[in-house]
Amino acid sequence: MALLELDNVGLSFSGVRALDGVNFAIEAGALHAVIGPNGAGKSSLFNCISGIHRHMEGRVWLDGKDLTGVGPTRIAHLGVARMFQNLALFEHLTVLENLLLGRHTRYRTGLLANLFWTRRAREEEIRHREKAEEVIDFLDLEHFRWMPVAVLPYGIRKRVELGRALCMEPRLLLLDEPTAGLNQEETEDMANHLLDIRHELGVTQVLIGHELRFVMDLATQVTVLDRGRVIANGPPASLREDARVLSAYVGGTVAA
Amino acid sequence: MPTRPLVIRYEDDLKLLPGAWHKAGAVLAVAVALAYPWLASARWLTVGNLGLVAIVGAAALMVLTGFAGQVSLGHAAFLALGAYAVAVLGGKLGWPFWLALPFAGGLSALVGVVIGAFALRLKGLYLAIVTLGLVFLTQHVLLAYPDVTNGLSGTAVPMSWWFRDETGAGGVPLGGTWTVGGVRLTFERKLYFVFLLLSGGAVWLTRNVQRSDSGRAMMAVRDQDLAAEVLGVDTTRAKLQAFGVSSFLAGVAGAMFAFQQQYITVEPPFDLNLSIQYIAMIVLGGVGSVFGAVSGALAFTFLSPLAETVGGAVPLLDQLTSAQQATVLLSGVVVLVLVREPLGLFGVWLRVRRYFQAWPFRY
Repeated sequence: MALLELDNVGLSFSGVRALDGVNFAIEAGALHAVIGPNGAGKSSLFNCISGIHRHMEGRVWLDGKDLTGVGPTRIAHLGVARMFQNLALFEHLTVLENLLLGRHTRYRTGLLANLFWTRRAREEEIRHREKAEEVIDFLDLEHFRWMPVAVLPYGIRKRVELGRALCMEPRLLLLDEPTAGLNQEETEDMANHLLDIRHELGVTQVLIGHELRFVMDLATQVTVLDRGRVIANGPPASLREDARVLSAYVGGTVAA
Repeated sequence: MPTRPLVIRYEDDLKLLPGAWHKAGAVLAVAVALAYPWLASARWLTVGNLGLVAIVGAAALMVLTGFAGQVSLGHAAFLALGAYAVAVLGGKLGWPFWLALPFAGGLSALVGVVIGAFALRLKGLYLAIVTLGLVFLTQHVLLAYPDVTNGLSGTAVPMSWWFRDETGAGGVPLGGTWTVGGVRLTFERKLYFVFLLLSGGAVWLTRNVQRSDSGRAMMAVRDQDLAAEVLGVDTTRAKLQAFGVSSFLAGVAGAMFAFQQQYITVEPPFDLNLSIQYIAMIVLGGVGSVFGAVSGALAFTFLSPLAETVGGAVPLLDQLTSAQQATVLLSGVVVLVLVREPLGLFGVWLRVRRYFQAWPFRY
């Protein structure tokens, strides 16, 4: 069953056609990769799904619910979490506070209860802390719990951002280049985390990548975008020999 | 002695005073605060009272500017609303101060939320300009209805009951100076203890905002508003909550100031200068922490009379009035803090703590 369906999605920025008639579906439990050269529209596609570009055309369905025209806050409540390409962490807050912000949609106590630090507010805070600690354990972030994000190295920050998204207990996790700027070892760690998320937590993931080998090894399904259009869609093995993919990606004809 | 207690439950991490050192510090602070009115001269007792007012006002601004990142020059307007609310409720309607006080905060919060709704799309400098407009608007409105506010000539702020000098039936004193067990409680001393309670309450409330989900949502809006939205934080709501809490406390601070002054006019004190003084306080203390609000407010209020004393001895400065001397010296201090220690007194405290935690090592 498809968890996310894109129906003829299009997006224009005053003359630039970022996305044009994008149709494909993401199966529940998949690790679905979206690849393509620079400017192919990968990040724009994510922005359409998470509700940042509301002027898009076409429709996006999440588990039978129409997301068209729905704002990012509401979409987060529906269970879509996101990791940004250029880190979007709260730099002055600690790792733990960043993770707890991932739990924000699940807090039930309001401002008044928080102001007076009522018993309910206290108990809720502890409940969410327990969940955040599970994620800390899952991603090996124990050492960094109390550190402000601003002092952490880039690789750890990427992991914190993944953790913040996981704290939302999402149904759909959008990962915009989770390995960009990471070294070999950090990339391998990230790959392991993504596989763990798929196997242990069963969260559906959509992954934007540009490193072909990484994507081909991990993904269960791959969609290739070029200049805003889907040029191929299928399991990774089927795309290796696809002439359109090779010409878009590697450029020109390739002597096999 | 361990520097940090062993944490075995998550509740322990949420405590305001997690360790023995924190508790000792709190006990010491309370002891100093309780002893102060008995040791200080009349002049310094007044400074102390103004310091307690400043703590509430600075905590209020810290919520809006420090937590939610909304730079506001309109703080004086909220203080003015609170001050005039108690003046009218106490003077025209004869309400006792403890009843008028929450109404003053409520009125100010109402205006704050309405202004916040207008200011939602504005950031940084633009928001500062709009909130600056609020100061002039409030001044204008207060002066435009002289039958309510007494206009330019100002109005008295009576505190009913325990604070008024009056005699009841049979010559029993109802207010003014009390004598309790041979100890004389003057007006200023009584005010001091009431203010101590109020400022303690304000600090507690702001600390609760800071350690809870509501405060984190505000800080998320401050640091990265787009990421906050994608996490499901309702940025509109977070900003309005910050405006609401901040203007409520500012209204209370204004009311306290009015009680302390006993007679208020619109301008001075409720002008742009007051707004800027509050910004200077939170910068001096360290933006983003409640400790910063408290230490900044106290440092600013206690340095002002000191600066007036020192100012007369400095060449060139002795040509100015004492208020101008204080302004020049204090702005110098604020600039120095911004350059040398951007985290303010909070940053100084962090360094002192780190030194003792690392002791006997130097790093």
